[in-house]
This record gives sequence, structure tokens and C-alpha cells, in this order.
Amino acid sequence: MVFNSLIFIVFFAIVLGLHSLPLPWKLKKTNLLIASYIFYAAWNPPFVILLWVSTVVDWFAARALVNAEGQWQRRAWMLVSVIANLGMLGYFKYGQFLVDSFAAAAPLIGLHYVPPRYDIVLPVGISFYTFATMSYTLDIYLRRAKPATNFLDYALFVTFFPHLVAGPIMRPTELVPQFATPRRASADQLRFGLALMTLGLFQKVVLADGFLGPVVETVYDSDKPSGWIDSWIATFAFSGQIFCDFAGYSTTAIGVALCLGFAMPDNFRFPYASVGFSDFWRRWHISLSSWLRDYLYIPLGGSRHGELRTYASLMGTMLIGGLWHGANWTFVVWGGLHGAYLCGERLLRKLFKGFQAGPIAIAGFALLTFLLVNIAWVFFRAKTFGKAWSVLAGMIGASGDAAPRLAAISIGTTVAIVAAILAAHWAMRHRTLEAAIGRTHPALITALWAAMGFAVIAEHGTGNAFIYFAF
Amino acid sequence: MSLAVTILVLLATAAWEWQMRQLGLTPGDLGDNPYAWVEERRRIDTEPVSAAIVGDSRILFDTDLDHFQRLTGIRPLQLALPGTNGRPFLENLADDPNFKGLVIVGMTDVSYFREKAGWMKIALELAKFESPAKRGSFLIGRQLEMHLAFLEQEYRLSALVARLDPDWRTGVEGPYDDTWKLSTTLDGRQTYMWPRLEHDERLRAHGRAVWQAFKGPVVKPEVIAMTLKRTRAAVDKIRARSGDVLFVRPPSAPDFRVNEDKRLPRAKGWDALLAAARARGAHIDDMPTVQGLSLPEGSHLSKACATVFTDAYVRRLAELSPRLTIRPDAPPPLATKDCVPGR
Repeated sequence: MVFNSLIFIVFFAIVLGLHSLPLPWKLKKTNLLIASYIFYAAWNPPFVILLWVSTVVDWFAARALVNAEGQWQRRAWMLVSVIANLGMLGYFKYGQFLVDSFAAAAPLIGLHYVPPRYDIVLPVGISFYTFATMSYTLDIYLRRAKPATNFLDYALFVTFFPHLVAGPIMRPTELVPQFATPRRASADQLRFGLALMTLGLFQKVVLADGFLGPVVETVYDSDKPSGWIDSWIATFAFSGQIFCDFAGYSTTAIGVALCLGFAMPDNFRFPYASVGFSDFWRRWHISLSSWLRDYLYIPLGGSRHGELRTYASLMGTMLIGGLWHGANWTFVVWGGLHGAYLCGERLLRKLFKGFQAGPIAIAGFALLTFLLVNIAWVFFRAKTFGKAWSVLAGMIGASGDAAPRLAAISIGTTVAIVAAILAAHWAMRHRTLEAAIGRTHPALITALWAAMGFAVIAEHGTGNAFIYFAF
Repeated sequence: MSLAVTILVLLATAAWEWQMRQLGLTPGDLGDNPYAWVEERRRIDTEPVSAAIVGDSRILFDTDLDHFQRLTGIRPLQLALPGTNGRPFLENLADDPNFKGLVIVGMTDVSYFREKAGWMKIALELAKFESPAKRGSFLIGRQLEMHLAFLEQEYRLSALVARLDPDWRTGVEGPYDDTWKLSTTLDGRQTYMWPRLEHDERLRAHGRAVWQAFKGPVVKPEVIAMTLKRTRAAVDKIRARSGDVLFVRPPSAPDFRVNEDKRLPRAKGWDALLAAARARGAHIDDMPTVQGLSLPEGSHLSKACATVFTDAYVRRLAELSPRLTIRPDAPPPLATKDCVPGR
């Protein structure tokens, strides 16, 4: 189920009620585990089996890995986990993509191949929970963590419903210890959790789905070309939509966990105030970028083997990161562009080592970063390269006499919302939400919280799925 | 602080609800969408259904299910959907071995003779699989809609903001040109024209402008051929299970009808279809007692006229098929003069 649905309100009220009862901690954890399976099964009940497979394989692989006597045995058990998880991910997410790609490349070697249509349904959130369970085995293999002492805590780490389908991608070291002792939210935690849920739902229901999504669809889901105003506005709208959708999910998830007494790490830190791309990836989808850093970039060599290898590791990590987002070459190009941005930034930093940027230069770099991020978003959002080129052509005014597509009100609301997001991110660049709230008058907080809550109710939405559920 | 927030939100929501009721929205108007359609469609799997209606918004708005039942003792399953082509839905019933009844296909020729299923085609996918979460939310939403008027999708905050712009930007067809709220939907998908639309000149003018008098391209010969062939196949399948199919052509405003006939004349559409499918039907042109019915925005009948039209077409179909019989205690026949609100 999705957070922005009526059934989730009922589900969450029941879970919160049960969690507040004076029951033994083990029983409360069992309740949370069952609730998490119900949460996942509410999409498509048979897919719970995949979740069980992923959970059980990694539990036994990790135990075997700990008890293994030789390095080759340890490596073999680690590979069992990686192959099982990536095998499931590969089949369900990339099976059709691989045969289609092979069919597209076959004529280059003189073959004619018509790919079959498998109609494989993508289990929601599979990319997230396979990465979470793999991190458990990999951390134990790399001796960064000890295995969970009981299966219940481990299964709850994998399945805990706030993070299950769209992150933040949790590490066992972040969550498993929290299950060791009884937890219940304090009044402050409950209040802050509910406020975070309201903020997250406001971002998702009102901004992403209500105001920005239709603007993006008008341009990106049309087969007609668009002029430079429409192309830029739709792309800016997507930059706002994808942030409000995904950060909205993460904020709601963190709020839900907090209401139950659990802490989850930030997944976004005001990313549109980034100055440069290494800064951007420290602020955007932090749990994925740190996962890719720890389990891909560093094993690929990181920055330990010279400049050339560093660039290759960066590009490889970002290309795979792009593919993680979706089984389409457009996502690979999106990842490739970010890889190129990171490499370019690294090169420039080396060439201008002593350069100290002033306030104006910093603002200029931030704006440049935002614009380049938007150009990359074109490939992320466009379903085909043809559409991506069409939008890019529109952005540089090369789409001829394309008819105007977006209504003035859509342009106005998009500019207002995206400008507000940018201003908020810039104002919060060096601050945390908690600190900002602590320094704001309670009357203003009350008014903002109530306004967002009312806006969510007045918009009420159609229960659209979150964009990242498809990844 | 939490208490203050709760009070403020409740006060604002109450004021919003009051304002929406002032605009003509009412609790109990359940709205229509593919999920409501699937809920009705599911009844075929669990109970014997003797009649079902498929088609576009005209047969949906123009059928009074209560009156249908008063006349025949049968309450048909209302499976028509706005913005859709009735053919894929006829095929959906034809492919379902559980359905052995009568299908009444409401058709606007230019809507029926097209390749794609149309605006609410997702309903057909939901008929195959609907997630428990979606269904649960739908059922909870239904209960809330019984008591709250503001849950109307067409009056969401973003929709209201979008409609403030009457196409300020030259050359743009924006959200202002989308269809606005047209109907009221009660339990069992009984759908009528929204009462406010019948009386609000601005809304009626907007509705007429959106339809653009049904102007459009001429229907291609290959689309006609495909439609005839596939309809024939679907009708044969239903008849093979001892079911039957009848067609109904509801009215449209004279200026709309001119354009519809230009795109697909009756001889190439309606007449050819009945001949190809060896089926029978009730065409508005052949029902002299119900000419000149009220169509507030040109495409759909007023609520009162929907009852009159239902009376006429059901009596006509009863003459054509033994599957429908007019009850001895049925009310007397209605005519255009009976098209009086609240009768």
C-alpha cells in the first residue's frame, strides 16, 4: 500500500495502537513483522514469497559465512547471497530489457532476433530490499558488522514497512540494534513524526501529484514537440516533482518510523542547494549514494589507484547507479551524465586547486549545478531517446514552430513552486530541519503544519504510486 | 501544538466542506472511476446477471436504472464508462464464460467506431487484477463519500486553481478546456447529469464548448471494417452461451448530430453494425415519442429526460427481444412532454 492512501491511514492507526499496548517486546516486534508483510502483500500477495526468499537466503548465507573456515568458503557464501539477490532483480527487472537490448544489437553482428514478450510484472520495491539484504551479507563478509543474534530482528530489519519499498536503504547496523531493546515514541517523537508525515504527504499529494505532475505529463507524455518555454518549464516541474515525490516518501517514512519509536537516517539534505555534483550526491538519495560508494565505487578501486582508475570507478558506479533506477538505456545515459559531471568537477578541482570561490561564484556554481541536473533529468523522465532529444531541442529553441502547450497558470504555479523549493533549500543549506524548527516561533510552526494538513485534505489526490516504486 | 493543529485543520476542513456544498456538491455523490466499474463488474463472478449495459457516457447518463427495473423487473448491471469505446467492454463480457445474459450496448457511433478503448481503458486491466490495497482504499473512500461532499475529484485544490486560467496564453488548450464535473453517481453506478449543470448557464456553455460539437476526422474505412468484424465475433460468442446483444443509440443535440453524421453516417455505422452482427437495436431516430429531449450541454440528457428516454428504449428493446418483458404493473409510457424535473 502507499502512504498516500486511505487504507494506509487505517493500517497505520492499527499498527500504532498495537505498538502502544503494554505487550512483551518480542510480541510487538512480531506484530510489526506481520504488519510489514501485510503492507507488502497489499500490492500483490504472491510477491511476498520473493521477500521471504531474499530474507532467508541472506540469513543463512550470513550465518554460513560467519562459520566458514577458509576465505574461499566465505567468498562462496557471499557470492550465494549476491547471485540470489541479483538473480531475482535481474529476472524481474532486467529480463525483458536484456533480450530487447540483444535484439537491438543483433543486426550489428548479422543476426536477426525477434525478442519474446515475457510480460514480467515488476515486484514493487525489489531494488530496495535486495540492496538492503545484500548489504547485510556484504557487511558481514567485509567484517563491518556482526550478524543479527536472532532471526526476528533480522527479518524485521529487511521487512520493516516504513523503508521496505522505497527506502531509505537501511544498513543492518542502523536498524538491527534498535530492535534489541523496547522502543516506544515519546510525546515529542510522536509529534515530530506526525509533522514529518504531514510534510511528506504535502510534498507528494499536493506539490508532486497535484500541481507539478500534470505539467510534466503535458510535455513529456505527448508526441508533439514543445517550444523552449514549455520544455524548460516541464523539466523544472519534473525536477520539483521527482524531489517532492521521493523526498516526500522518505520524509513520510522517517515520520512513520519515528511515531513507532525508531530512528531512520535522512535520505535528502536540500539537494537543490548543491554546489557541484559531489555535493549533490551527498544530499540526494543519500542512502543509495552511500550504498553505491561502499559496495561499488570503493571495491572498483575508488580513488586509491590513481586518477584514471578513479575516473573509471566514478563512471562505472554512476552508469550502474543509472541502470539501478530503471531497465532502460535512458537511465544509463542519466547515470553517465552524472558520472561525467563528477569526473569534470574532479578535474576542475585539480586544475584550479587554489581557487577560493566568493559568495557570487558559489551562487553561480549552485545555479549551474541545478541547470545541469535538470538537463540530466530530461533523460530520466523521457521514456525514449526520441522524446529526450525532442525536449532538449525544445530547450535550445530548435523545435521550429512548436505550438505552445502549457497554460499560463501551469507556468505560474511551476515557477512559484520550484522557486520556493530552491529558496528553501538555499536557506537550509547548512542547517537541519530539527534546528530550523527549534528556532521558529511555535505559532508559525502551528500555522504551517495546519496549512499543509488542510492542503493535503483539500487536494486528497488519487492515491498515485510514488515514482520510485517502479525502481 | 498538536491539538491546535488538529483544531485548525478540522475548522478549515469544515469550512471547505460548507463551501463545496454551496457549489452544488453533495454527500452521497460517489463519483465514477474504473475502480467503481470493477466493483460492479465483479458481480458477474458471484451472482447471475441477466442484463448488463456497456458503452460510453451517453448510455451511462441517459439510463435510469430504477425505471428500467420498474418496467421489466430487471436491474441491469451498469458497466458503461465515460470516454470509452463500448466495443472492448462488449468483448470483455464475451470472453467471460460466467456471463450468459443480455448485453445492451449504448453507442455514440464515433465513439464506438474507433480502435482504442479510450479514456478509462484501465478498467479492463483492473478487471484482471486489482491490488487489495487499491480495493481497500476504494471501499473506505466510498464510506467517506457518503458523508463528505468535498471528496469530489473534479473539485480538488489543484483542479480549482488550474481552472482559474481561461487560456490566458494564446494558442494553448489548458486545463480550462478539460471536461469538468458533469455527473452525479449514486450506488450501483446510477449516474445522472449533475443538477447544477442543468441550471448553471456558465457550466452548460463550458460543457458545450469542450465537446466542440463533436467535430473531428471522418472514421476510416479500415476502422469501420475492424469494428464490424470484432463486434460480430463478440456477439456470436455471447449468443453461443445463449446470451444476446442489443444496441441503443442515445440522442445528441442537433448541431452535434450533424457533425457526428459527417464523420460516420448512420448507413455506414449503426445500420452496417446491426447488419454485420445480425443484431437489433433502438435508435433515437426511430423513437418518435421522445424527440426533442433536453440535452443541457449537448451530449447528455437531463435527469428527468433520462427517465423518459429509458422508458422509450426499454419498451422498444422489449419488442425486439424476449429477454426483456414489460411487467403488467409497469407505469404507463412516457413521452417528451413528461420530461419534467421531479415528476
